[in-house]
Amino acid sequence: MKHFFLIAGLVATSVVAQAEVVKIELPVETAVYKSGPGADLANAQCLTCHSADYILMQPPMPAKFWKGAVDKMIGKYAAPIPTNSVDALVEYFAKNYGTETNTPSNTVVTQVITQPSGALDGEAVATKMGCFNCHAEDKKIGPAYKAVAAKYKGNKEGPEKIAHQITHGGSGQWGTVPMPQFDSLSAAEIKAVSDWILAQ
Amino acid sequence: MPKVPRSGVVVDRRHFLRSAGLIAAAAASAGHVFAGENIVMPFLNGQRQLVKYPQKRPLIRLTTRPPQLETPFSVFNEGVITPNDAFFVRYHLANIPLSIDSETFRVEVKGSVETPLSLSLADLKKMEAVELVGVLQCSGNSRGFSQPRVGGGQLGNGAMGNAKWRGVRLKDILEKAKLKPTAKQVAFNGLDKAPLDKTPDFVKALDVDHALDGEVMLAYEMNGEALPMLNGYPLRLIVPGYFGTYWVKHVNEITVMDEVLNNFWMNPAYRIPDNGCGFVEAGTTPAKTTPIKRYNVRSFITNVTDGAMVKTGEPLRLKGIAFDGGYGIREVLISTDGARSWVPAKLGNDLGKYSFREWEASFTPSRPGKVELKVRAVNRVGESQPLEALWNPPGYMRNVVETVNILSA
Repeated sequence: MKHFFLIAGLVATSVVAQAEVVKIELPVETAVYKSGPGADLANAQCLTCHSADYILMQPPMPAKFWKGAVDKMIGKYAAPIPTNSVDALVEYFAKNYGTETNTPSNTVVTQVITQPSGALDGEAVATKMGCFNCHAEDKKIGPAYKAVAAKYKGNKEGPEKIAHQITHGGSGQWGTVPMPQFDSLSAAEIKAVSDWILAQ
Repeated sequence: MPKVPRSGVVVDRRHFLRSAGLIAAAAASAGHVFAGENIVMPFLNGQRQLVKYPQKRPLIRLTTRPPQLETPFSVFNEGVITPNDAFFVRYHLANIPLSIDSETFRVEVKGSVETPLSLSLADLKKMEAVELVGVLQCSGNSRGFSQPRVGGGQLGNGAMGNAKWRGVRLKDILEKAKLKPTAKQVAFNGLDKAPLDKTPDFVKALDVDHALDGEVMLAYEMNGEALPMLNGYPLRLIVPGYFGTYWVKHVNEITVMDEVLNNFWMNPAYRIPDNGCGFVEAGTTPAKTTPIKRYNVRSFITNVTDGAMVKTGEPLRLKGIAFDGGYGIREVLISTDGARSWVPAKLGNDLGKYSFREWEASFTPSRPGKVELKVRAVNRVGESQPLEALWNPPGYMRNVVETVNILSA
């Protein structure tokens, strides 16, 4: 006799054991970083490896603590965080998840995503924004950019849908990790990214 | 026959499906907390959600990816064994296995051995089975109470549990593979992986003598059932008395090494001050560190919670649990006067030196007002618990004498 059994959880979580295979489905990720200057960096650089609640649950900590945490991610966990993004990332965490006394409130977060002069290179914008941390072909966090291209190629509404996804984020339809919002990009940058994706 | 475990979730091998509604009703009748509720841990920024995961009742969620779930403390008052569906979950790396075929699963034994092995679960189940009741506790259990606060998983006291583990002795497997005389350590790797190739894989090692002590085990059962996926299905390393960091989940690779493993997870992670006690003056950095090892002594009151109101002049039954790193609990003492005097509690059944030991006591508050209840255990080599909390930078090994404040009226 074939052994089938299902150990169901509530909505969105379940365990299925068919024959000898045990399979589980995890609940969809809901934790998000606070919006504001630097949130794009946290979304792009930190969500590749862990959910936002790793930061959200920490006690209020000074900038020194957050610098240590970012350095550890780079030095010990090999996080590919660009060197010139470290200060802005630390400032974002210290400002949003820090102790006020240790965080000068009048400092301006360094703008790392700068508008390059001349024609925009979509691939360069996507690289800077950290898109490939989740959408490269060998990553399983979001759909590979080539799969996105294949889905929307020839679709008149393709560029608009991609733009909407970038600025509004996703719902986690593709997997259990919803895409965060990247709302600091200019319309020109979004168009460059979208054009580049569709050309793949 | 369908069996109904503690959680009320129906498991029936002859039926294809059970509706979520039926299961929700079963869970409701069992009187459990429901997913979606929030609870607040008693420290700053302690808001948490109770979330239902596969094979689990709603647990306190610390992180989503990778999952870290804490057992609500009330579970420890339900019994000396922590049910599988309430057992805490702690992963380090986000790509955790979500589907495992128990027929094709193999554990490889390789490295400095005469006979490399590739063992299926069926192979392991043909070997002599051993059972042991033992506590699994996270190194960072209770970290949220550290003062000054430290970074890391901000846990209350629920990253621990006590289960009956069944499996095979690691010694028997290593003897089959025949260690070369040069062997120094045995390293364990599981199926969980990091999203980035360059992130150090979670691999932990034990010294050869420890690995061959006949107690370290590869378990395929937990409390009489296959391990829940999130607790390491189908095979988990059991290192009795040692902190959870060594209890590698989904073990599929055992490598005998001629040197000492020096990866991130052995050094600098999971280390304590190398000064004999494992703690330093609060806020300071230790000069030297060493890998964390055995549990220190802990004890808890489980049936009375902080802030409870009790009747003056009426006997109050106190009960709870105590454990240590494997010498066994000799004595549990209760104080009801702020640690000025202590009276012994009555110990419950002895399920082995690695298990939670239940205890019971009675106390009658003689006058109205605030009462400080304290519990302190002593193990068989005389080790006990400090009255004031000790501290180290990673927030490991907290074992202060716990205090429950109640009001007699």
